[in-house]
Amino acid sequence: MLSLDLPPHLDPRDLLRRFVPTPLKAFYRLGAVHLKIETNDLGLVPTLMLGVDDHARSRCEWGWKIARDPDAPGPLLAPRILRTEALSLVEMGIACLIGVDHERRELLAFVGRDIDSSTYQQFLLPFFCRLIMEPSALHQEAEYVLGGTAGSDD
Amino acid sequence: MSSACHMFFGGSSRPPFRARVISIVITRLVLNQNTLPFSADCSIAGVPWQLSTNSPYVLQAAEKWRPLKRGSKPALFEMEVLVDSAQHAPLRTAHFRGIRHLVFATLPPSNFVVYDLARKRVHAALSEDTARNLSFWNNLLLPISIGVLGTAIGIAPLHCACLERNGAGFLLAGVSGAGKSTLTMALANRGFAFISDDWTYVSKARSAPVAHGLYSPIKLLPDAVRFFPYLRTLAPHATLNGELAYELDPLRLPKITAKSRSYPQRLLFLERLSAPGCHFKICPPEYAKAYFEAHAERLPDEVPGAKEFRSDMFQHLAAYPAWILRTGEGPHETAEALDDFLSEATHAVA
Repeated sequence: MLSLDLPPHLDPRDLLRRFVPTPLKAFYRLGAVHLKIETNDLGLVPTLMLGVDDHARSRCEWGWKIARDPDAPGPLLAPRILRTEALSLVEMGIACLIGVDHERRELLAFVGRDIDSSTYQQFLLPFFCRLIMEPSALHQEAEYVLGGTAGSDD
Repeated sequence: MSSACHMFFGGSSRPPFRARVISIVITRLVLNQNTLPFSADCSIAGVPWQLSTNSPYVLQAAEKWRPLKRGSKPALFEMEVLVDSAQHAPLRTAHFRGIRHLVFATLPPSNFVVYDLARKRVHAALSEDTARNLSFWNNLLLPISIGVLGTAIGIAPLHCACLERNGAGFLLAGVSGAGKSTLTMALANRGFAFISDDWTYVSKARSAPVAHGLYSPIKLLPDAVRFFPYLRTLAPHATLNGELAYELDPLRLPKITAKSRSYPQRLLFLERLSAPGCHFKICPPEYAKAYFEAHAERLPDEVPGAKEFRSDMFQHLAAYPAWILRTGEGPHETAEALDDFLSEATHAVA
């Protein structure tokens, strides 16, 4: 997987990295859900398992903004999820921070520099999908069945 | 509250996609009325807020922030704090990131805090040790919370000190390394009332700016021992950003008067000179406003009215008399010169 050589984000007025540009955009379909994904790293663009939606540009329901964070080193730690009325908030150490706003239909995440594409595609991406789907399932809006047992890669 | 993580996705209209994940433990913490049975009305920097928690220790820590007058104003923000006694998470480093309306903070040893600026809510998962730590509450979590929520709740955080001389407050701004903290300490030692050192939180009361300090510690770098020899009796320690510094509780320092707030009436912009001397130069309102704007955090579009509120606050502050203070002297000499200058300025106004 190609990856952009990210320049450091050195804006002294943006210490939180809020305004890291995410110029790469892609559209996908996940069952009934249409995703618009913005990122700053080609390695964080999902592979095609979600299904590319060529017609989604005008009716995107969920927006994902996923920023590679070159200043967040280290591995993923065990996830800790906070659930509130409107949000699912996840930290896995500083290597991955995720906020899912179910009301605004946004998934916002920072992915640390040491998370390789394989870990991202095989673990984080399904995890993102699950995070946005679970509350939807509660509201009977999703087609997806969650839970079950560990499956094998195939 | 934990469960093994096994994921299986299958869509009705598409071939099933399965991801195998090795068995890991996910901690799930739900924040709602059932899990957070205790609540309290609080007030900080003039802002009413509501705390919900499951921990009596947190409730106790918040006692310092209970309002003197109970409840006519509605809470401007809510803080939900879940203390997880079963939590033994690995050590987290201090780390802050923001994206649109959310700000994430991991705070050592194993605390996770998220700020939702759009809904004006703070969600926190704390360890039990942290919940019992008053210093964490008063010197870290609450000042950080006010700084992060800031403009969303009607407060403009300014990177400057605030002091008061004979009841007249002034803001002391300057870039890092200009010597704000040592000058603040020297002024406090001369009898100026201390409100804040590094960050001042400015709200409005009856349309006048009010500067709040939250009694946060005065932070001095190790080389400040040259000017304040009694620091030799103390030990500097690593602060949140990893910097080695002395952190002095203004309420425990002898001969220093600490106040929670002041009404600033003057502005001073500190600049360091390589040559000896101490000079005051009148500073136009445009300079003051441009300085504040240039040194303020960029604000996200997702917080309605935040930019306008802050710009209005800067405009208001910039209308006060302001000077650039250029000094090549040490903090005590500069404090003496400033004391004399403010005295003369007061007489001139009178």
